[in-house]
Amino acid sequence: MAETVVQMRDVTKNYRRDAFELKVLQGITLNVEAGDFVALMGPSGSGKSTLLNLLAGIDQPSSGDLVVAGEQVSRMNESKLAKWRQRHIGFIFQFYNLIPVLTAYENVELPLTLRRGSRAARKRRVETALSVVGLQNRMKHYPRQLSGGQEQRVAIARAIVTDPTLLLADEPTGDLDADSGREILDLLGQLNEQFNKTILMVTHDPNAAARAKRLVRLDKGQLVSGDAGAGA
Amino acid sequence: MIKLVRRNLLRNKRRTFLTMASLAMALFILSLLGVVNDAMSFADESEIPDRLVVRNAISLTFPLPEAYEQRLRTIDNVVAVTPQNWFQGVYKDQRPENFFPRFTVDPATFRSVFYDYTWNEEEWEAFAEQRTAFAAGRELTEIQGWSLGDVITIKGDIFPIDVELQLRAIFDYDEPGQERQIFFHRRYVEEAMGNPGQNGTYWLLLDDPEAAPAVIAAAEAMFENSDNQVRAETAEAFAASFTEMLGNIQFFFTMIGLAIVISIFLITANTMAMAARERTTEVSVLRTLGFRRNQVLGMVIGESLAVGVLGSLLGVGFTAVAIQGATPFLEQMGFGFGGFALDSQVLVTAVTIGISVGLLSGVFPAVAAARLKIVDGLRRL
Repeated sequence: MAETVVQMRDVTKNYRRDAFELKVLQGITLNVEAGDFVALMGPSGSGKSTLLNLLAGIDQPSSGDLVVAGEQVSRMNESKLAKWRQRHIGFIFQFYNLIPVLTAYENVELPLTLRRGSRAARKRRVETALSVVGLQNRMKHYPRQLSGGQEQRVAIARAIVTDPTLLLADEPTGDLDADSGREILDLLGQLNEQFNKTILMVTHDPNAAARAKRLVRLDKGQLVSGDAGAGA
Repeated sequence: MIKLVRRNLLRNKRRTFLTMASLAMALFILSLLGVVNDAMSFADESEIPDRLVVRNAISLTFPLPEAYEQRLRTIDNVVAVTPQNWFQGVYKDQRPENFFPRFTVDPATFRSVFYDYTWNEEEWEAFAEQRTAFAAGRELTEIQGWSLGDVITIKGDIFPIDVELQLRAIFDYDEPGQERQIFFHRRYVEEAMGNPGQNGTYWLLLDDPEAAPAVIAAAEAMFENSDNQVRAETAEAFAASFTEMLGNIQFFFTMIGLAIVISIFLITANTMAMAARERTTEVSVLRTLGFRRNQVLGMVIGESLAVGVLGSLLGVGFTAVAIQGATPFLEQMGFGFGGFALDSQVLVTAVTIGISVGLLSGVFPAVAAARLKIVDGLRRL
């Protein structure tokens, strides 16, 4: 039986805006097994990105249990969370978010600089990650010298270079043309199929969602359809 | 991390350069001010507290009668009195290198008050005996290439006479700045001027420095009801009033320097804050990748610190180079007489201020960047 990477039990997230309390997520229960590829769909404001942020440990739930990669995310302090993110989470942003003053190689190397290891070992990992995304010949290029699709592929290489437990993608094709978007989805599929990476992807695009193994829908902060996962 | 700090510094080269250059310019002015201050205080330090100066109460530009010398000598605790007059004049031309202090003195009493100069006795005798002789400090003779026996002409400006003088003695002094002046006979000028019987200042040697306040009071009281009332003061106070006569430029410089440093601090702080604000999303991305708060803090502070350090080095480097060119000009303006040098204290102060400006201007944006919630930073796309 596959290991459970994400266990959410009755998770809520509320934001206070002046006198109002905004209930963004209400009683979310969701499990994600290792090697799964989950697409998370829903209209704007349904809480998709908030859910992704909670899973990435960059935001905290208001209540409920959230265990990711075997750790209670809500019980870790800032410093532990940073270390945990570095080890277990690979994040792919809609707008790539590469550091413009660093080359493709240096961008991918960035998460590894936080770890111990020789320069040679680091180089091997960066080159491997860049060749997985098909950009081994663009290592010295700066983000401004790359197309949107290539930038996103560098961002994916940066997300996988540490071999994280969970890959989180926030509308990874949202800023790309159809062809580039397809390439990125192929790449994510390949990472899931060939490298058994566990992926949770937020998307608005039904075609993108169709590439996932499982579809989960959110509306007004609640799971409205889809498989909540084994044991949920 | 260091690579990222370096690249971020070069991200907007023009902005970084201008920030650094403005900091360097402020520190240059500040260092220059420090050097000028040093040159002035150098003149003070060379004065001995057992000497007093008596001058006309109205201003240094008004003389005192010759007869005052004898009367001042009668004051208790005064062991010697000697006159000294600022001749000024022009040697060769108005070029800064030909400007040096020229005083007329009375060889009969000069050494009894100014006992701290070192003389070759034979040379001193030759100087004292010849009315057209002059004595010069060793440093000045080296600068001008003079040897004993050389004759020079000083064209008068304050005094409407030209004096032709022959070098008869070379003196030494512990402080090199004091060796950049000449002395010649006041009697020579007196005679050429038709014996007006006047002196600019009288220098008094006391047997006890503690008696200075009483001697000052006695000297001022002695001439209270005369046409030429006097002001008596310590040599240090005299040096200060000499500076005052120059328009208190020292104070003026201090204020300008201070205003510039404060402005530059605000400009640098604003620039650093702007640079940090522009990268709010990037900081959040780095933290998403696993960078800790203190690493982000270190990165932003490191950047502004680098601006501070480089700006400081540029500033003091520029000062060191410029001081060479500025010295003659400053000397011509009357700021000290050759004591200009970028000493370690001025250097350390300037670098400390520069680094502090860099550090402080980075602290606020760094703390703001580190404290920002990651999700808030990512939302600012």
